[in-house]
Amino acid sequence: MNSSATLVASPATIAWNKVKTFFSKPYNVILVLLGIVLTVTTVAPIVAIVEDTFKIHAGTIDAHLTKQTTGWTVVNYIDLFTSKLAKSNLWKPLWNTVLLSVGTCVVSILYGGIFAFLITRTNLAWRQYLSSIFIFPYIMPQWTLAVVWQNLFYSTKITGTSDGLLASLFHIYMPKWFCQGLFPSLMVLGLHYAPFAYILIGGIFRNMDANLEEAATILDTPKHRIMFRITLPMVKPAILSTILLVFGSAMGSYPVPHYMQLTTLSTKYVSMNSKYTGEASILAIIMMVFGIAIMLLNQLSLTSRKSYTTVTGKSGQISKINLGAAKYVLAIILVILTFFTSIFPIISFAFETFLPNPGDYSFLYTGNVNNLTTKWWLTSENVTEQGMYGQKGILYNAEIWKAFGGTLWVSVCCALAAGTIGTLVGYAVAKQRRSKWANYVNSVAFLPYLMPSIAVGAALFVLFSSESVRLYNTYTGLIVAGTIKYIPFASRSSLNSMLQLSGEIEEAAIIQDIPWIKRMTRIIIPIQKSSIISGYLLPFMTCLRELSLFMLLCGQSRILSTMLDYFDEMGLYAFSSGINLLLIITILVFNTIVNKVTGASLDKGIGG
Amino acid sequence: MKKALALLLAFAMIFALAACGQQAAPAPTAAPAADTPADAPADAPADEPAAEPAPVEENLTEVQKIIKEAEGMTMEELAKKAIEESNGQTLYGVGNSSRGKSALPLFIEYLQTIDPSYNLEFDWQQPKNNKIFDQLTANSTKATGTFAVTLIQDGNQIESKMVQTGILDTFIPKEWAEANGVDAATYEGYLPLQTLNKVFMFNCTGDKVFDNVWDYVAEGEHGQFMDIDSEIVGKNFLYMLTAPQYAGWLKEAFDKLPAEEQAYFQPTIDELKGDAEDLGLDENGAYALAWIKLWVGSYNAVTDDGPICKNLTDKSATDQFGLLVYSKLRSIEETDSSSVNNVKVAAYEDGYEGIGGYGYCHYMFVPDNSPLPWTACAWAATPPTRPSRPAPRRSTATLRAALWTAN
Repeated sequence: MNSSATLVASPATIAWNKVKTFFSKPYNVILVLLGIVLTVTTVAPIVAIVEDTFKIHAGTIDAHLTKQTTGWTVVNYIDLFTSKLAKSNLWKPLWNTVLLSVGTCVVSILYGGIFAFLITRTNLAWRQYLSSIFIFPYIMPQWTLAVVWQNLFYSTKITGTSDGLLASLFHIYMPKWFCQGLFPSLMVLGLHYAPFAYILIGGIFRNMDANLEEAATILDTPKHRIMFRITLPMVKPAILSTILLVFGSAMGSYPVPHYMQLTTLSTKYVSMNSKYTGEASILAIIMMVFGIAIMLLNQLSLTSRKSYTTVTGKSGQISKINLGAAKYVLAIILVILTFFTSIFPIISFAFETFLPNPGDYSFLYTGNVNNLTTKWWLTSENVTEQGMYGQKGILYNAEIWKAFGGTLWVSVCCALAAGTIGTLVGYAVAKQRRSKWANYVNSVAFLPYLMPSIAVGAALFVLFSSESVRLYNTYTGLIVAGTIKYIPFASRSSLNSMLQLSGEIEEAAIIQDIPWIKRMTRIIIPIQKSSIISGYLLPFMTCLRELSLFMLLCGQSRILSTMLDYFDEMGLYAFSSGINLLLIITILVFNTIVNKVTGASLDKGIGG
Repeated sequence: MKKALALLLAFAMIFALAACGQQAAPAPTAAPAADTPADAPADAPADEPAAEPAPVEENLTEVQKIIKEAEGMTMEELAKKAIEESNGQTLYGVGNSSRGKSALPLFIEYLQTIDPSYNLEFDWQQPKNNKIFDQLTANSTKATGTFAVTLIQDGNQIESKMVQTGILDTFIPKEWAEANGVDAATYEGYLPLQTLNKVFMFNCTGDKVFDNVWDYVAEGEHGQFMDIDSEIVGKNFLYMLTAPQYAGWLKEAFDKLPAEEQAYFQPTIDELKGDAEDLGLDENGAYALAWIKLWVGSYNAVTDDGPICKNLTDKSATDQFGLLVYSKLRSIEETDSSSVNNVKVAAYEDGYEGIGGYGYCHYMFVPDNSPLPWTACAWAATPPTRPSRPAPRRSTATLRAALWTAN
């Protein structure tokens, strides 16, 4: 035996050893597994909907144009882009969608940004109250403000309906552009997403080093120059983040433009889906393309964020601007504004549940209590008359309570799944931040958030309705959809916090041969508890009131938001208002519990 | 608008031809009597599209076999089968109307008269925005579906999307077939459970009167109507206006207008004469096209007939009008502001000229993968109980040319 012979491993052994080494690191296992899973869950719906655009659908335009009931065709593309209806089916909705998305960004950033500045950088009065109340529109389903807008401003003279509150009580008639179309849509969505801007921009204002501004002040720099050359550049990343997130969300909003009678890609998708099924799928793809473009912009903003490194550690010297007497004037203005965006809708919902007919405000100007009713709450029988349509009162309505249970179940499951997967993505990406695969996993996990909800819902509907998947109208389908859509909340929150965590902490444990599970549960998770909880809480809150994503995936009685939408469509505003109250109370209760237990809260930048 | 109209008209030709072909012989439900209450159960076979040729027996699906057997049974025999099949279970149904939800308890009560221990939970879905076809299509991918029964409207979509694709099966109850003198085995149609009538109603708290169908498309008018993309039978109604008979009625009504009112519509009619010719419509086709164009360009889209009814019955809605299901009036509770007395059905008024509304059927079907086919058949065989409705104030004038089916 030649003892001096050198052992030479075969290439296969070397490769095997490399694989073993690679997979010995838990974050690599996570990246590979989640990379595959997320690719499938993100790409499969996209493939399904792309396939749908080439499919012939019985009883629709493609079947008519091809004279076939099954098979494949490109006629949907040709017809959508070149037919006489291209302007009304494609270009006009697309233009309106872009205007709505841009307008929503402008309103939300101006309102939310100014509010954030006043709350965090000035000595405005009643800041704590205002900060809490400001996030209410984000808690509520977005179209509830649209319904409130209708109830307030509609009138017989202008909109050809019955008189709303302003017209019936004060004979004030708002112009049509104020009541319907682009303006109210972008205002409602802007108000809904303003808390988003407040959370993101306020987070930076809170942590901003005031030394830079103070230095400029010492150098006698004019205030406007300080604002435009120092303050705004510092919050620019937050503004950019807000634009990226709000643009995609506004683009995919269905209910608000639907109620405000604005034709967008979302509303067109729904209206075309019955007769122009394949062409509607193309509209969904166009919305997805916008989502991908937004993601690329996001990537650019991340790479160029180095230029905003002026946001450094806390100086502990945050100087608040003294507003003088204006601190009360501005506070009163904000109290009034937030009253109408946050408090009034709740009062309005509560009041609506006691009106004998939807929107019948005769009690207010007659004072006659006979013009009020408790039937919407207390009817215990199956009644067809007097607007009940076979529904029992809210307190006795098993369908509503079953849907409430369904909503909680879906929200809890989505929060657990999205929170856990997102946290793992954040952890693994932070560990391998220079790896291209990690960047890919990070991007593919974030992509569904930037895709308009209705487009994701449409793609999943096509997928779930196929013979091989069959998840349509099941809680499992809703949980899968919600998880895919909400992973970004957790992955972003987790990634941001994990990046701040020094690798040495975990390395010390590795040297001690502590197993990965123990390292996670004893070291990593306790340290990042707050942001990880955020990653669970935000999907939960969002899921509770999600409609655009779920409306195509289940029947109306599965969850509360689809049931709420059904009642709103039917004009049974008492039921929808009652459900709204139920949702708002649920979210507030959960927010309070989490706040008490963990110290985290929405208005303090949860998930931001 | 022109482009939208062009495509609408192209479809109008196709569907009107199809629909007219199917409706050539007016059946009792095709033109219900003027005073037939809305939502009343159809009492005769409807003029629905011809169904596919009956499958050969050995090729029948399980549900089709049950239907075939059920078609030879009496109501009581069916009820026993239903009790055997569904006692203690949950029935999932889907429909365009809330009628299913309100009728199911009555059906359960009926079964309990046979077996007091019988119990059936139910979940009735009423999808909006035409999503019912998506739901049924998605449901059809399962071996055993979720939905046991459906009550569905729009014969055009039913035929092309549901029947030709084998998603829905028709069941013809024995008693119904006998009462209407048809043979279930050879009957080529659907089972119309109820007919809904959409009529022009206006708020009468002011002085304005709508006494001619052209008044609804006059300058500055914006009638409330469910969007034609949301409820496709509304679009079918417009398609059907191009048929010679209805176009002729529109022309007759136009001739009764004062000259100054005719002068407003005449340019639109003249403009569309060429289109009418291109589309092969008759000499009155341009009148139909003009009415459709003006209506589509002016109506005020509302999400459902419920809100329209609520709007119109409010005293503030002076001179407003809408085209909505008549039976929605029963949803109104009398208050200082809202009252059914604040509205009138235009075509019931003396001297009314032209079309006063349209009717359409809700058909009952059994999904081909129904989990409770016997129960579905038994329910279809049970005479639906009609809820009471407010007595309308109507004139003695007949509702000439008022209603036809927009199936």
